[in-house]
Amino acid sequence: MAEVLNRTAAQRQPTWNTRGLNSATEQVGNWFLNPNWNNSMDQSDPFESALSSMVSSPAAASNVPVSGENVMMRELIGKLGNICNSGDASCYSTPLNSPPRLNLSMVNLPNQSTLAPFSADPGFADRAARLSCFSTGGNFGGLNDPLMDSFKLSGNQSVNVNGTQSNQNSPMAGNSGSDKKNTGVSRSSSPENAESGVSKEESSVSQQIPSRNDAGTRKRKSIPRGKAKETPSPAAADDKVASENDESNSKRSKRDGAPAGNGNAKATNDGDEKRSKENSKPPEPPKDYIHVRARRGQATDSHSLAERVRREKISERMKFLQDLVPGCNKVIGKAVMLDEIINYVQSLQRQVEFLSMKLATVNPRMDVNMEALLSKMFQSRGLLPQGIYSMDSSAQAFPFGYQPQQGLPLNNGIPNITETQFSMKTQGFQLPSINGFTDANPQVGSVWEDDLQSIVQMGFGQNQPQSYQGSITTGQVKIEL
Amino acid sequence: MNKYNPPRMNPSSLRSRFATRFLRTLSKINAQKPTSSSSPTEIFRRYRRIKAAADKSMAYSVRSRRTWSRAMLWKLRTRPCGRRSVKTSTIIKSREARKTRHEKQNKNTTTTTTTTTGEDGVVFGVEADELRELVPGGEAMDLYNLLDETAHYIKCLTTQVQVMKKIADFYSP
Repeated sequence: MAEVLNRTAAQRQPTWNTRGLNSATEQVGNWFLNPNWNNSMDQSDPFESALSSMVSSPAAASNVPVSGENVMMRELIGKLGNICNSGDASCYSTPLNSPPRLNLSMVNLPNQSTLAPFSADPGFADRAARLSCFSTGGNFGGLNDPLMDSFKLSGNQSVNVNGTQSNQNSPMAGNSGSDKKNTGVSRSSSPENAESGVSKEESSVSQQIPSRNDAGTRKRKSIPRGKAKETPSPAAADDKVASENDESNSKRSKRDGAPAGNGNAKATNDGDEKRSKENSKPPEPPKDYIHVRARRGQATDSHSLAERVRREKISERMKFLQDLVPGCNKVIGKAVMLDEIINYVQSLQRQVEFLSMKLATVNPRMDVNMEALLSKMFQSRGLLPQGIYSMDSSAQAFPFGYQPQQGLPLNNGIPNITETQFSMKTQGFQLPSINGFTDANPQVGSVWEDDLQSIVQMGFGQNQPQSYQGSITTGQVKIEL
Repeated sequence: MNKYNPPRMNPSSLRSRFATRFLRTLSKINAQKPTSSSSPTEIFRRYRRIKAAADKSMAYSVRSRRTWSRAMLWKLRTRPCGRRSVKTSTIIKSREARKTRHEKQNKNTTTTTTTTTGEDGVVFGVEADELRELVPGGEAMDLYNLLDETAHYIKCLTTQVQVMKKIADFYSP
């Protein structure tokens, strides 16, 4: 945006950045209302080209400071007024009397025209619509609708003007152009209180729903977010929903415009997340609710916006669940995903039941100990299998029930650990040298049992996790870690 | 000789918390039971107790941070004494009211639950109900929170399954 304006300014005047915003908008507004406006905007080709370049460029520029854009846009509008002014002094006497620094050679605004042909003028409407999309900061209170209708294209322009009501223009060419803007709001009623009347704007904004989604331009809403805070709560829903920053985001960040209440804290957090995620620019002034910005081509009423935010949150959750549930990566689609999730939860629950049944049947006399617990904790995948076979110090029957088996399936894939002996001491167990799993299979059993019994006698109940370094013969003991 | 220091586990991880509690309960159950327990009913009873212990341990490990854990704890508390009197039903009702009130607050941000227009409501209508049945405490939640709870529930379930599997394999021959 900045470069576009610079470019256009380079074409004529590099002074746009200095113009006052409100005055410009007011000028423009007055100018629009002026029935004397003539049709000669067509001739201002440089301006039109500048406008078109400006229109197209914002799509490219994604990160522009808000205030800068506002300023530029208003200056542009002011320039537009100036262009008209230069041709016909009578029309634009009062506000547009700023020195015409615009070097529009071809600007020639000869005659007077009423507002009706004003609306019918495609060129002007085109430009006006384009401009309107960029004027964001100004609040155009109640004059949205009539002026917007005037800006509606009769069809041959590329600007997609969204008018609210058709008061004047019968042929409201909806989306005739590639540009799609929320033009109605921004343009009209600049002479109105530019800084207030947010609710009216927002209502009009909500009505202007661009029906076509074009790639080039972006949609801007002129309601400053800060203003929305002032409005009363009845309009609050609309405000919050429709209020947007004056940021030029190609992708809008959406936040749920929940009314201040319970959901606010949570929504604020989500909004903060989204804000940081979406590369948004200045922090939004009101913090008590979440602001949502509608995307291009999407409805802007509060319900649909909230709906959209909710859907986004839900799809976030679904993605997260997709990572959790194994084998869900290939599945696309919420319904199938949900089915997979349901199946997975059911299978997990069944597994728990099965395992508890197994535990009920398997170990009537096993006494569990902290050592076992710790061993299990240590025995995560890839870790050394600690020989912490919890034996109750009460020296019950040989608790392990391990029987020498062949082919120990150590399923955690411990490559280096080839344990031959299971030696445990009370203090300072050391991992015996590990030669190979296959060694000493027949002997190990007895050794191991001896060791275990010694351990039992030693009062295994001492909690010495570090000292328990057991090595389990592969062939003898089946240990699943 | 260098002592082998096994890598320490996180003592406060979910897995360790659950394992601790569950093992404790399991030992208690095992201690109580008589030696001869081969009758199916006895085994079944043990099974139920162990399962309840597992669920309870898991729910306690999560404390009350999650709706599903709260719901599960509450269910476990009320279920064993199957013949609850009417007096407790009021407690149940108040608890439910509290729960739904709390969940309604979460719902304020969203418009509706499963009957929303748009693809959400259409898609999630049936599956969401199934999920609600599966996840404890999911009956009164909107979809977003339901998915949240489901994610956490899945994580806890996998931990539970892992620990129990290790225990079972540890004990089994």
